[in-house]
Amino acid sequence: MISRRALEIVAAALTGFFGVVVVVSSIDNGIGWSSAGVDAGTFPFLTGIIIVLGSLYTMGQGAMGRGTLAMVRTAITPSELRRLAGLFVPAAIFVAVIPMVGMYLASAGYVFAVLALPKRQSVLRALVIAAATPLALYVVFERMFQVSLPHGALAAAFGF
Amino acid sequence: MENLQSLLHGFTIAITVPHLTLMVIGVLLGILVGVLPGLGAPNGVSLLLPLTFGMQPVSAIILLSSMYWGALFGGSVTSILFNIPGEPSSVATTFDGYPMARDGRPTTALATAFGSAAFGALVGVILITFLASWVAQVALAFGPPEYFAVYFLAFASFVGMGGAAPIKTVVALAIGFAIAAIGIDTVSGSVRLTMGIDELVKGVSFVVAVMGLFGIGELLIAVEEEFQARAVSSRVDWREVFRALGRLPQHGIALLRSAAIGCWMGITPGGPTAASFMSYGIAKRFSRNGARFGTGEAEGIVAPETADHAAGTSALLPMLSLGIPGSATAAVMMGGLMIWGLNPGPMLFVDQKDFVWGLIASMYVGNIVAVALVLLTVPVFAALMRIPFAVIAPLIVIICVVGAYSVSNSYLDVVLMLGFGVVGYLFKKLHYPLAPLVLAIVIGDKAEDAFRQAMLMSKGSLGIFFANRLVTTLVLAGMALLLLPLALQVVRLLRKPDEAADEKVRII
Repeated sequence: MISRRALEIVAAALTGFFGVVVVVSSIDNGIGWSSAGVDAGTFPFLTGIIIVLGSLYTMGQGAMGRGTLAMVRTAITPSELRRLAGLFVPAAIFVAVIPMVGMYLASAGYVFAVLALPKRQSVLRALVIAAATPLALYVVFERMFQVSLPHGALAAAFGF
Repeated sequence: MENLQSLLHGFTIAITVPHLTLMVIGVLLGILVGVLPGLGAPNGVSLLLPLTFGMQPVSAIILLSSMYWGALFGGSVTSILFNIPGEPSSVATTFDGYPMARDGRPTTALATAFGSAAFGALVGVILITFLASWVAQVALAFGPPEYFAVYFLAFASFVGMGGAAPIKTVVALAIGFAIAAIGIDTVSGSVRLTMGIDELVKGVSFVVAVMGLFGIGELLIAVEEEFQARAVSSRVDWREVFRALGRLPQHGIALLRSAAIGCWMGITPGGPTAASFMSYGIAKRFSRNGARFGTGEAEGIVAPETADHAAGTSALLPMLSLGIPGSATAAVMMGGLMIWGLNPGPMLFVDQKDFVWGLIASMYVGNIVAVALVLLTVPVFAALMRIPFAVIAPLIVIICVVGAYSVSNSYLDVVLMLGFGVVGYLFKKLHYPLAPLVLAIVIGDKAEDAFRQAMLMSKGSLGIFFANRLVTTLVLAGMALLLLPLALQVVRLLRKPDEAADEKVRII
């Protein structure tokens, strides 16, 4: 179980970290006014400072359990977490294998795995949808609009 | 009434069998690219361009502009059905369109969107017809300070309205600005915020961010809530299409106001995206049902759609009369004009009367064709909502992945998109508002450039924003919009201290 307070603090820490990165990185670009006008780093620097300050405030509010939605104690229950992972983990694996096997194989495998393994659809239907997906992608993108999708290292090895 | 005569002459050019056929083809292709995220009107128009080299310029521009209309309509379809905006300008449509479709009323949502979009486009064309010469002068008066003032106005009208915690709104907005700054800085040419990753030099495309934030993020929220696509009535209900259209006149004021905002933002090159956000923000503040916006209010669809199309249509005017393309699509079309041997600019109206008025007449006809075709497709698209969620979820993931990739053939974009998905989920869960974040990503760098160019002109003095009547009015209007909710809050606080206490969170 993830409490709302923990989630609030983690999110504020993330935005705060992003803010710090923005501040540090924009100092290199120069901040302030020079002969070329407003320096390139000025604007991101200011937004970075705002992000950091805002994140600190939100984090403080979260830690003290205040704020608009403090009444809600639980943010994510274990069963919700399982469902979230059920969607996100396969999607992340799908994205991770694209450079290797290419968009077409990856998408077909992804659709088949997500549909057939948890027995949401019959294997036959899952197969049909899994085959139709890359076909539709190929026809629309590669053929009609001439946008080349990644074919992957595997296809390259076979000389495609 | 010289304009009217020329227009009638234009109609004799536009309403011929070959030209009507071209319109149908263009609109259908446009709907296709509009529906597919990642492919937009610019892609479609550039791919068709080579086909037009052998055509008459009038026929060519009719084909390309029809495709543009189709894409504008198609972009709303995915926004409403899957919460994935096909085009930047249809982001604001997701705010109320998607809840309404999820609520089991996809037909109503689509028909409302198309109906109000058609109205907006119509107002845009009428404006072009009558104000062609005057509009050219207004657009010429626009320099960097005025640009910045227009963007400021768009931000002000949108930011001040939120119901979210004020600090979270500010953080979301600032993050959006920072993301917009990633990549090459257009003013100084230096590389910013790439954090050592070379591929980030090209910047983070808006499409990548939006598909993650809305597409993947919304999907995560949906599985967490164990959302099951509601059993939408399985037969196609044509009557609902017409009932929804029949209800449009009830939103007459919103329609007119949004069309006015759209035309204004189209001519002053604020663009359709800023226009739709601004129109939504203003509608939320002034509508009687403002509090219910975001839950599937019809007016929340009417406002952004009308403004989007009014702006999209009237944006063609600066392209024709001044040679300043208002959007990427217009830029590609302008390239076409040059290839066909025409020079965009004021002389076009003198030298190429047939071309200009043929095009303007085709805008009337083309939009009618587009509305008819797109309404015919409503039941088809609405039927997509009946596919089981278990099947549609992986397909949405694939569409987002392919869309993010095809923006600039970059694998990094796909990874970023997935990252934005997690951010979108977290933000939505913790009630960080996504709208200011997206608006800042889309027009943040343009606003920044305009501000810095204005500063260069004035050598660092803010006085340039009050230098002439136009810019002063814009800036003051923006400040008024920003301060209005605060002022209303103070008034309420003075009048009824008890009731106002629990509304304090809304002050921004």
